[in-house]
Amino acid sequence: MGLVLFYILGGITIVAALGVVTTRNIVYGALFLLVSLMGVAGLFVVLFAEFLALVQLLIYGGAIIIVILFALMLTRETDFSIATEHRRWPVAAVVSLALFGLLASSAINDSSLYNSDRRSGIGIEELGTGLFENWAVPFEIASIVLLVALIGAIVIGRSGDEEDGGQA
Amino acid sequence: MSLELVDFQILAAALFCLGLYGVLARRSAVMVLMAVELMLNAVNINLIAFSAFRPVSSMITGQVIVIFVITVAAAEVGLALAVIMRLYRRRGTVNVDEIDLMKG
Amino acid sequence: MGIEEAWLIPTYGFVAFGVIALFGRYLPLQGKHLSIIAIVAAFVTFWPVLFDFVSLGVGEHHVPRVWFSAGEFSVGSGMIIDPLTIVMLALVTFVASLVQIYSLGYMRHAHNGHVADDPRIGWYFAVHSLFTAAMLTLVLADNLLLLYLAWELVGLCSYLLIGFWWERKSAVNASKKAFITTRVGDVGLLIGILILVTETGTFDISTIIHHVTAGDVSDGKTTLAAFLIFLGAMGKSAQFPLHVWLPDAMEGPTPVSALIHAATMVTAGVFLVARLLPIYEVAESAQMFVAVIGIITALMGATLALVVTDLKRMLAYSTMSHLGFMMLTLGAGGYTAAAFHLLMHGLSKAMLFLSAGSIMHSMHDETDMNKMGGLRHRMPITGAAFTIGALSLSGIAPLAAFWSKDEMLVAIKDGLNPIFVVLFLVAVVLSALYMARATYLVFFGPLKSENRAVHESPLLMSLPLVVLAVLSVFAGFIVLPLGGDYEGIGRFLFHGEHGHDFEIQPLWTIVSIVLATGSFALGIWLYKSSRSTVDTIRVQFSGVHRILVNRYYMDTMYQWIVDRVVLALGRAVALFDRTVVNDRGVNGAGLTVLGAGKRLRGHVTGLFADYGLAMGAGVTAIALYVWLRGA
Repeated sequence: MGLVLFYILGGITIVAALGVVTTRNIVYGALFLLVSLMGVAGLFVVLFAEFLALVQLLIYGGAIIIVILFALMLTRETDFSIATEHRRWPVAAVVSLALFGLLASSAINDSSLYNSDRRSGIGIEELGTGLFENWAVPFEIASIVLLVALIGAIVIGRSGDEEDGGQA
Repeated sequence: MSLELVDFQILAAALFCLGLYGVLARRSAVMVLMAVELMLNAVNINLIAFSAFRPVSSMITGQVIVIFVITVAAAEVGLALAVIMRLYRRRGTVNVDEIDLMKG
Repeated sequence: MGIEEAWLIPTYGFVAFGVIALFGRYLPLQGKHLSIIAIVAAFVTFWPVLFDFVSLGVGEHHVPRVWFSAGEFSVGSGMIIDPLTIVMLALVTFVASLVQIYSLGYMRHAHNGHVADDPRIGWYFAVHSLFTAAMLTLVLADNLLLLYLAWELVGLCSYLLIGFWWERKSAVNASKKAFITTRVGDVGLLIGILILVTETGTFDISTIIHHVTAGDVSDGKTTLAAFLIFLGAMGKSAQFPLHVWLPDAMEGPTPVSALIHAATMVTAGVFLVARLLPIYEVAESAQMFVAVIGIITALMGATLALVVTDLKRMLAYSTMSHLGFMMLTLGAGGYTAAAFHLLMHGLSKAMLFLSAGSIMHSMHDETDMNKMGGLRHRMPITGAAFTIGALSLSGIAPLAAFWSKDEMLVAIKDGLNPIFVVLFLVAVVLSALYMARATYLVFFGPLKSENRAVHESPLLMSLPLVVLAVLSVFAGFIVLPLGGDYEGIGRFLFHGEHGHDFEIQPLWTIVSIVLATGSFALGIWLYKSSRSTVDTIRVQFSGVHRILVNRYYMDTMYQWIVDRVVLALGRAVALFDRTVVNDRGVNGAGLTVLGAGKRLRGHVTGLFADYGLAMGAGVTAIALYVWLRGA
């Protein structure tokens, strides 16, 4: 059962990701991203990490994609019909493929090192307890990071002052 | 045949490399940002997979880290888009090929 | 006070130079008297040295001192005191003293109605002192390094003094010419010295001579060294073909010509060959070369002296000719005769130059003999002195240079092929002729009306003339055994096993007396009574005359060499330096770096994607490498 789900969801994720990086229409790209991230959420479920699947849905699907779409609307370029690929894209393709090959091979090579077919998940209470006990400091720091990002985004995104910052 | 850890590893690697390609080859800054999200998600998959397939007490670490990754990713997207907006206002474009202030 | 203290003799001069050069401005009269004191002190110091030398026995005495040493190798700064040194010390200190006293009178010019010292008189005397100091050091030096140092110093002083009146372009050119021509010779000297030093391992002269005569040095190297050293002597002593600087050197003040270019500096070459004569006797071909160059120079100088109209230049060519005689004699192995003639000629020639100076002083620096004539009526002392000098150098008995010429004749006939004797006698005839010509043209005959105001020189100038005149008459007698321990010059000044007694060889003596006296008389007669014959000869031999007037075209040839060869080579080298070394090498290296930098900057595109790609590719490559190695 899990295997079937894995292949379906994995397939959706990969295909959608492919769509993200190859499509010419940037809005389609954002939508492809949404699909891919939903696929990831599904995979989380297969891995018995339900809470995280929900978090993924909420944050990525709910917040991030929306923000990206807004940004897309506000930064429309008229000449998007020109190639959306950088002129060195073959090199990038080669590098990516090579890295993939490397990672996959090393994973397969080391697969015998651990017995890896029984999977289990963590209960939500356990997660919560661990988060607020052992991981309390990083938790607080993460909150600060969010705060800083929030303030920073507001400051940078302000349309008020345009004269600062030297442009060559 | 049952599901093994290595399958998830390969999947995560594929996703990561797709994201890498996007980062290196795409012209629009927003597209690059989206590809970065792909890479981050690949990492998350890997972490969760390890956390699920290794029945030890440190299982929780993987999931907790993923929470933080998602958090930081969200913060980063917000900031990055703010910068992109700023850039667009200045240059009229988000084409990374034309943002070469550090040239030479 | 004895020969141990002989080093004092040059030291006075060095001290005087230092003081006058540095403090002359603050001294009264620019310190010229300091120089006189120094040279007279040197002359005075000479006498105790002489007496000590005589009492120690005639021979070679060394007063060694180490200058510096490096391990086993050491260079000395000691002295050799031998008869040759004594003779040279006497000549230099004596003539220099007289010349400096003479200069006190000569270097005063008429300015706006009253007479005053030359404005740079302090410097004049300073360099004079330096010169005598250097010359004395050269004579005393017991090792070749010190000698070479003094040699160069003497050349420098000559340059400074020839160009003393540097406001005159001709003087500047003359001093440069002198320095450069002698420099050519000096290169040979240096290389020759170095050959000897590397072969024998020391700079010490006696040690070197000892090694060479013992056969420790190969014949080839000895001959080469001898040739090269003679090259230096050729430069300094104005031998053909390095003689071209001497006539031009007459641009300097006349006392300078008298001291440096008659009696002392030019004799340094002769002195050097004499000092190293044992080496030349081993290297026979070099010695023959010396003789050949000597006779060529003698004849060349004599022929040139016959046609010039400038009094000082005539004397310069005469000096050149007599130096040729000395070299010829050395080539024949006549150590005694050559040194003897050096002494006699020095006295007489210096006097001739001082007389010329006398004339110039009262005739506003006129030197053209055709503008003179009958001056003995107005300048009796000078006239008498000049005539005595002329007679002496022509070889008229019993004046000084007659004795030395006779000795030279004997040495040449004994040591060389008869052809040299014949040529020598031809040169003797010529020397008498030109001396007679000059004497008559200047002092005899009718007095020109424009020269009526000419007057005799002041005492400071006439006195040295008189002293030298007296010596020119009587000095020759030192060739004879004069009693006591002194058994004649032949027993005093010799090298080798033993000297020789003075003996008169009747036939040769008569031949030389007849030739000399006859030629002199002929000269006087030609110019006194038969001027037309002179003119006819000049027309008949106009081709020869033109060659002589153009100094055998040697100056033209040298100028051509300089222009075509030396300067062309210089231009080529400069071109190479500019294009290859500078543009390619130095600038090229810089430009290459710049170019490379420009090209390398290209990859700093400022584009994120490029950087990312580079990083990605790099990381992948490294990971691949690690994985392959590990797997």
